[in-house]
Amino acid sequence: MSVYSFYIFDRHTECIYTKRWTEHHAPPTSRPSATGALSNGAADVPVATRRAMKLEDDAKLIFGTIFSLRRMVRQLGGADDQFLSYRTGEYKLHYFETPTQLKLIMLTDMRVGNMRTVLYQIWATLYVEYVVKSPLAPTEHPRGVGVANELFEGGLERFIESMFSPQP
Amino acid sequence: MASSSKAARLGEEVWKSRVDKINAEVLTLTYGTIVAQLCRDLTLPATANKTDYAAVNAELDRMGYNIGLRLIEDFLAKSNTGTCSSFRETAEVISKVGFKMFLNVVPQVTNWQGVEGKPQAFGLVFEENPLAEFVEYPDDGRAQDELWYSNILCGVIRGALEMVQMQIEAHFVTDVLRGNDTTEMRVTLVRYIEDEMPPDDE
Repeated sequence: MSVYSFYIFDRHTECIYTKRWTEHHAPPTSRPSATGALSNGAADVPVATRRAMKLEDDAKLIFGTIFSLRRMVRQLGGADDQFLSYRTGEYKLHYFETPTQLKLIMLTDMRVGNMRTVLYQIWATLYVEYVVKSPLAPTEHPRGVGVANELFEGGLERFIESMFSPQP
Repeated sequence: MASSSKAARLGEEVWKSRVDKINAEVLTLTYGTIVAQLCRDLTLPATANKTDYAAVNAELDRMGYNIGLRLIEDFLAKSNTGTCSSFRETAEVISKVGFKMFLNVVPQVTNWQGVEGKPQAFGLVFEENPLAEFVEYPDDGRAQDELWYSNILCGVIRGALEMVQMQIEAHFVTDVLRGNDTTEMRVTLVRYIEDEMPPDDE
């Protein structure tokens, strides 16, 4: 089990927090499978280009994806429906949205199970406690100002560590 | 009504188990100090000590608004209520969970106006108001008619609901401090806020 990256988008559709975990978290088996997938080019191109792309482009892409998926899910499943995750050949994207339209997104490898409660925990125990309640952080976070404070960063780091460290 | 008793239970439970509590008098006195200071600071143009009560009301509302923007996240994280399906449900949750959780009072939801799809409004009648304990209005002949002492609550509700895609308008219509029989706030739904779209990428 490993985690690749984590994003928070606010209600103004802006990416206010990004965190990437370094490569050593990725299982060593991912490399042969990546090269093995070369034959079907369509699946491989996004993976190869993703590495090269800048962080913001990544975030924009992810937001676009979840924005459309969310809309589609609501059209098909009713206004209360939410999508939880999707999976590709390379990664799994987990999604959680609060009623205040804060969107938490985590990219992990494909074997990881339902992460909804984990994302909920990150929001309720870390984001609300350390970002929302911080008197020094602004109420809105244009360009992510005030989100990446020490307590939030540290808490997130430890929490993810505890989730993912017992490597099988 | 099933949903209202459910809200009441939830409010009770959250209040009992998940909220840090402080002495109510500390809150009362702190709030009183803020209002008193505003009354001293905000004076009518070209006067030294004639309070501009409209400005005090507006400032309290603004302070509340900024509190509400943050308070809603704490509220949602602790109460874990989902999205309300109607404005009526919103009213129930505000009174029975929201006010219960933060102030340990349950204002009565009354005087419903409008139906689904039309302009909707409700009143919140406060039987007790922890902010207004020990309060005496200044004896200048104007405070009684102009100051809304607990106006910060209007701002809190406005800010909190804006974060959950509801634009509302809130104001007090009566206050026991002004000599009325009840303290009532009216909350009017202006519109539901649409999802924001990401900026167009070139």
